[in-house]
Amino acid sequence: MRKVRYGSIIKVPFGPQHPALKEPENFMFEIDGDIVVGVHPRIGYNHRGIEKAFERRTYLQNIYLAERICGICSDAHTTCYTQAIENLLGVEAPPRARYIRVIIAELERIHSHGLWVGIAAHEIGFDTLFMYVWRDREVVMDLFETLSGNRVHYAMNTIGGVRRDIPADTVPKIKHGMDFLEKRLKYYLNVVQNEQTILKRTSGVGILKPKDAVELCAVGPTLRASGVKNDVRVDDPYAAYDEIPFNVVTHDGCDVLSRIIVRCEEMLESINIIRYALDHMPEGMIRVRVPMAVPPGETVSRVEAPRGELIHYAKSNGTTKPERYKVRSPTLGNIPALCKMLMGAHIADIPIVLAGIDPCFACMDRMTFIDDKTNKKWVWTMQQLRRKTRK
Amino acid sequence: MTTETFLIILQILVFPGAFFLFALAFLYEWVDRKVLARIQSRYGPLYTGPSGILQPLADFLKLLSKEDIVPMAADKILFTLAPVFYAVLPLTSLFIVPVASQKSLVMFEGDLIFVMFTSALMILTVFIAGYSSTSRFSLIGGVRAALQMIGFEIPISLAMIGPAIAAGSLSISNIVQWQQTSLQWTVWLQPIGFAVFVVCSLAEMEFVPFDIPEAETEIVAGWRTEFSGRKLALLRLGRDLELVLASALLTSLYLAGPQQVWLIPPVVTFMIKTAFVVLMFSLLRAIFARFRIDQMVSGMWKYLVPLAILQVILIQLGIGR
Repeated sequence: MRKVRYGSIIKVPFGPQHPALKEPENFMFEIDGDIVVGVHPRIGYNHRGIEKAFERRTYLQNIYLAERICGICSDAHTTCYTQAIENLLGVEAPPRARYIRVIIAELERIHSHGLWVGIAAHEIGFDTLFMYVWRDREVVMDLFETLSGNRVHYAMNTIGGVRRDIPADTVPKIKHGMDFLEKRLKYYLNVVQNEQTILKRTSGVGILKPKDAVELCAVGPTLRASGVKNDVRVDDPYAAYDEIPFNVVTHDGCDVLSRIIVRCEEMLESINIIRYALDHMPEGMIRVRVPMAVPPGETVSRVEAPRGELIHYAKSNGTTKPERYKVRSPTLGNIPALCKMLMGAHIADIPIVLAGIDPCFACMDRMTFIDDKTNKKWVWTMQQLRRKTRK
Repeated sequence: MTTETFLIILQILVFPGAFFLFALAFLYEWVDRKVLARIQSRYGPLYTGPSGILQPLADFLKLLSKEDIVPMAADKILFTLAPVFYAVLPLTSLFIVPVASQKSLVMFEGDLIFVMFTSALMILTVFIAGYSSTSRFSLIGGVRAALQMIGFEIPISLAMIGPAIAAGSLSISNIVQWQQTSLQWTVWLQPIGFAVFVVCSLAEMEFVPFDIPEAETEIVAGWRTEFSGRKLALLRLGRDLELVLASALLTSLYLAGPQQVWLIPPVVTFMIKTAFVVLMFSLLRAIFARFRIDQMVSGMWKYLVPLAILQVILIQLGIGR
């Protein structure tokens, strides 16, 4: 940190409305000259009462609710949800369904990381790269449309398997798309590693040391870009990941550049996973029938979403509706690490560092009532929540 | 009123004066937007007029009719005057640059210095616009613009002086005449000066990689955040005129300006040359990321200032005149 002071510290607000943030969230920066000396995140602008809504709907309806937690990692949330409920029911998805889940999850990783690379380029003013990446990302979106009929909310997962099969005649289409994407991604990786203006803006910016990353509970590509090998797909395999060989991509640059490189290489790794899964997909049924009511119990389910480790917690009471449902999305895990990265950054670097964790604030916001003086906690009913939102 | 004064008034107001320059400004904004869009594999303006050629004019007229909001805390007089100055200054400079013939509308020995002076005034206007808005984003944008000027003002002046030394005159029209009579374009004689001029023009017009004062993702719209309605329309017009001015200056100082080639009138060659310069700007702004302000200023002083001085030394040694 710099010792020289340039006079008074000014407070610069970022958000809730700001062009660098695609979702409403507020960060109050204390700026000394051009350097950030204090960060105060204020989360909770996009609270949607989604956990409460879970308790009001049946398990089958909740699949579609889980899908709508996030628009970009919609499949990660349903995978996590269906896994949790399958755990409670004591059933397991058939092998073919598990492979289909892997294929959809990896396609989703490609489109999510592609989206992020575009946004990162936009944050540093490189709009041409932004347009190019998003144009090529359309290949994945079209594949999703072919596979599931939808571009964003694929609705592939269901409790006990998947809803749609991948027919044999679409396999060559997917492979063709993957070949095209591999070529393009290698080109972008080359651009990112060699274009001087990108290097100037990203290397050495937003440093997160491996020790800090682990201590502050960073997750996903943010953690892996600090050189820590951590991936739920390997550490706690789900779906068919235990049968598919792949590398966990890490990079020890600890800066924004290594976050870009990690995400680009992860996309290439995803392409290999999809190819392997398509070749080794077993024949058989794609779902098992499950009862409507779930026996009492509680469970935790983990998934490696594109942004990092996603945790769902479910508690059932023997009826057709869950008693309590809790979602911890990866962005929340990355917020403390984000504050660490932003300290000492230039004003001009704030957007790219902020975007560096691939924030998805809408998935993140939860609410709990605490009186900070008496430390009293309480819970609202759905009616009270509705009344509050209408005010 | 004699016919002569009537002709002069017509020249100033219509051709090659204000009306023609406005039309050229809108045309070049369209060229720039369209080319940039095509490079980025987008369509760009499409609906207003053939291939969206009237879009800049439509934007301008629409903004004129929009509500004009002045922030409560703003310095009203400066806030109102800044857009006017921003539009008028490049227009004034354009009267000095030859457009339709070898001679400009207004010419005197030393008008090159006047152009340098107005371009410095423009940045001052930007600073005042940012300062008078009393918004944090505007203030940061204004300060960044002023800082950026410290970076590019010296090399761009040196790059303007190069052709003047070669031609032995400080008048832009004389420099154009010298290039045409001696049958050599300065760009072939002083390529370093040309490159320095192009880079500094990008900074002057706040194009990527030097769009630091209005970096959208960092400080909203920079110094123009608080402007709306008529004021924003004037700012946009000023920006377009600045594009015409930069390309016209490059054309005059380095590409021999308006030339009569066989039956083609000088204004057509002028437009071809300036359009080429605009295309070059569009291409350059598409292929970079934005620099940080400290990187920009130190880069300018580390590389461009020595290069510009080197060019002047070379000219003094007799190479490139």
